[in-house]
Amino acid sequence: MRKADGVCGLIFLALGSLIAYDGRKSGVFGWGPAGPEAGLYPFLLGAGIIVGSLIVLAQVLIRSRRSEPDQPFMPPGALKPLLYVAVPAALMVFLTEFIGLYLAAGLYLAVYMRWIGKNGWIKVLAVSILLPLAGYFVFEKWFLIPLPEGSLTGRLGF
Amino acid sequence: MEALHGLLSGFQVFLTPYNIVVAIVGIFVGAVVGVLPGLGVANGVAILIPMTFRMSPNSAIILLASIYWGGLFGGVITSILFNIPGEPWSVATTFDGYPMAKKGQAGEALTAAFGSHFVGAVFATVMLTFFSPIVAEFSLRFGPPEIFAVMMLTFSAFVGLGGKSATKTVVSILLGLALAAVGLDIITGRLRLTFGTVELMGGFNFLVAVIGLFGIGEIFLTVEEGLKMEGVSARMSPRIVLDTIKQLPRYWRTYIRGALIGSWMGIKPGGATPASFMSYGFAKQFSKHPEEFGTGTMEGVVAPEVAAHAAGVSAMLPMITLGIPGSPTAAVMLGGLMIWGLQPGPMLFKEHPDFVWGLIASIWACNALGVLIVLCFVPVFVAILKVPFDILMPTIVFVCAIGAYAVNNRMIDIWYMILFGVVGYVFKKLDYPLAPLVLALVLGDNAESSMRQSLVMSQGSPLIFFATPIAAIVNGAAICFFLWPAVRLIRARLGGGKAPRPAAAA
Repeated sequence: MRKADGVCGLIFLALGSLIAYDGRKSGVFGWGPAGPEAGLYPFLLGAGIIVGSLIVLAQVLIRSRRSEPDQPFMPPGALKPLLYVAVPAALMVFLTEFIGLYLAAGLYLAVYMRWIGKNGWIKVLAVSILLPLAGYFVFEKWFLIPLPEGSLTGRLGF
Repeated sequence: MEALHGLLSGFQVFLTPYNIVVAIVGIFVGAVVGVLPGLGVANGVAILIPMTFRMSPNSAIILLASIYWGGLFGGVITSILFNIPGEPWSVATTFDGYPMAKKGQAGEALTAAFGSHFVGAVFATVMLTFFSPIVAEFSLRFGPPEIFAVMMLTFSAFVGLGGKSATKTVVSILLGLALAAVGLDIITGRLRLTFGTVELMGGFNFLVAVIGLFGIGEIFLTVEEGLKMEGVSARMSPRIVLDTIKQLPRYWRTYIRGALIGSWMGIKPGGATPASFMSYGFAKQFSKHPEEFGTGTMEGVVAPEVAAHAAGVSAMLPMITLGIPGSPTAAVMLGGLMIWGLQPGPMLFKEHPDFVWGLIASIWACNALGVLIVLCFVPVFVAILKVPFDILMPTIVFVCAIGAYAVNNRMIDIWYMILFGVVGYVFKKLDYPLAPLVLALVLGDNAESSMRQSLVMSQGSPLIFFATPIAAIVNGAAICFFLWPAVRLIRARLGGGKAPRPAAAA
C-alpha cells in the first residue's frame, strides 16, 4: 500500500509539474487584454498539486522510516479476477472501433458469460443477443440516440 | 406566502400525465440503480442525462430528481437485506437493519426505513420550499468575488469536515479543477493543457468522469472484494407495513433530531454520510437502551435513514439557489441544467420559476410516490439482486459505455471512461476522496471565471476577495476550514508533548 501511495504521489508530482509548465507557456503573471493571462489559473493549480503530492510523499517516507505495519495494495489473489474484468472490457472498447458497440457488446457478454461465468450455451446466447438488441431499440429507435458505429460495419447501420 | 403560491404553480407544472409517468419511471430506475452494486445514483443519473436532451427541461429535471429519490430508497434495500450499503450514507443503516432482517423482521426494518425516509424528505422539503426563495433573493446581490468565495467554502468543507486525509482531499480537488481547465480557455480562447493533441481540445466531460469513477471503478472494487450476495428474504404484507407504521410515532424525538441534523448537514457538500452517522450516534446516546443498538433495534434504522434522506433533499437547496451542488448527484444534475441551457444560480428563480417550482413540487410528489412504489415492489428489487454477477457485470459495463458515448457522441469518451474507472479504483484504494474531484470538475469553469472576473474588477489585486463583507466572511470561513486539519494536528502535537489529553482534543 505504501509503495502504491508513493508511486501515485510521484505521478501526481509529474502531473502537477506538467500542468504548471503548460500554464507558464500561456503567461502567468502578465496582464492581457482580458485581464489576468490564461496561464495564471492552471499554474496555481499545478503548483498546488506539486505541494500536495510532496506532502503525500513526505508522509509515505515518514511512515516507512517508522516502519509502521503496511498492508498490500491488493489482497492476495485479487489481481486475476480484476484482469478478467478489465481486459475483456478494454477489448470490447477496442472492437467497438471496428464493428460498432452492439456487436462488440454482444461478443463481450458472450465471452464473459461463457468462459468466466461458465454459463450454459442457451443462457449465453439468449442474453448476448437479446441485450444488445434491446439496447438498439431503446436507444436508436426510442430515444433517437445514435451509438458508436464501427468503421467496418458502419455502412450496414450498426 | 410567495412560496405557497410558487408551490401551487409548481404542482401545475408537475401534474401532467407525461410528467407523472416520467416521475414513476424515474423512481423505478433509480431504485434499480440504487440496488445494483456498481451502479451508484450519481452514475445512474449521469448515464441517463443524454436521454433528457430531447425532453423539456421541466420534465428532464423531474426524471433526474426522481432517479435520485428512487436511488435513495433503493440503497436501503441492499443495506437491510444484504448487508451491502448501496451508497455511503446507508452504512449506518446496516448496523441495525441487517440484524433486524436476520431476526426475521426484514419487513419491519424496510417499512421503518422507508417511512423514515419519507419523514426526513417532508421535513427537508418544507425547509426547501420556504428557504430557497429567501436564499436566492439574498444571493442575487452576489458578484464574482462572492461567488468565488462560496465555491471556496464548498471545497473547504470537504477538507475541514471530510474524514479523509486533508492533503489527499486538496490534491483531489485540484486535479478536478485542472481536468476542467483542459481545452479551450473560456475567456481568451487559448488552448490549454492539450499538448498539441486534437483529442484533448474538447476537454474532459464530467459525465464521462462520473460514469468511469463511480461505475467502472466500483465494479473493480466489487470484483476485488469478491461479491458475496447472501440475502435475507423479506416477507412483506400490508399487515406488517401497517403495524410498523403504527410504531413509528414513538420515535418522534429521533425523527426531529435526525431531520434537523440531515437538513443542516445536507446543505454542505458531502453532508449526507456524516449526517446519518451523527443521527445514529445521537439516537444511541439519548436512548434509554443504548445497549440494544447494533443488535437490531428499530430506532437504529430510523435514525440514520431520516437524516440521510433529509440531507439528500437539502443538498438541492444550494444547487438551485447558488448553483453549488451539495452532493455528487446534485453536481451531475447541475451539469444537466447547464446542458439544457439553464444557468444555475439565483437568477433561475427569476427567469425560470416554472422550472424551479416544478422541481420542488416534484420532490413533494415523488417522495410520496416513492414510498408506495418501493414498498410494493420490494420482491422485484430483491430478484434483481439475485441475477448472477457474471451476467450483471458485463451488462453494467455495456450500459456505462452507452452512457459515456452518448454524452458527446465521441468514441474517445469510452476510453476515458475505462481510464477513469482505473483512476477511481486507485483513488478508493489509496483513500483519495472521489466526491471533491467530481464537484471540482463540474464547478471548475465557474470557479475560474469568477476568480478572473474578480481580478479584472480589482485590476489584479487579490484583496478584492475580502473587500465586501459577505466575501470576507465566507472566504474567512473557507480559510478556517482549509487550515482546520493543520490546527488539529498542531494541537494534538502540543497536547501530546505536555500531558496526555483526552481524545476530545485530538
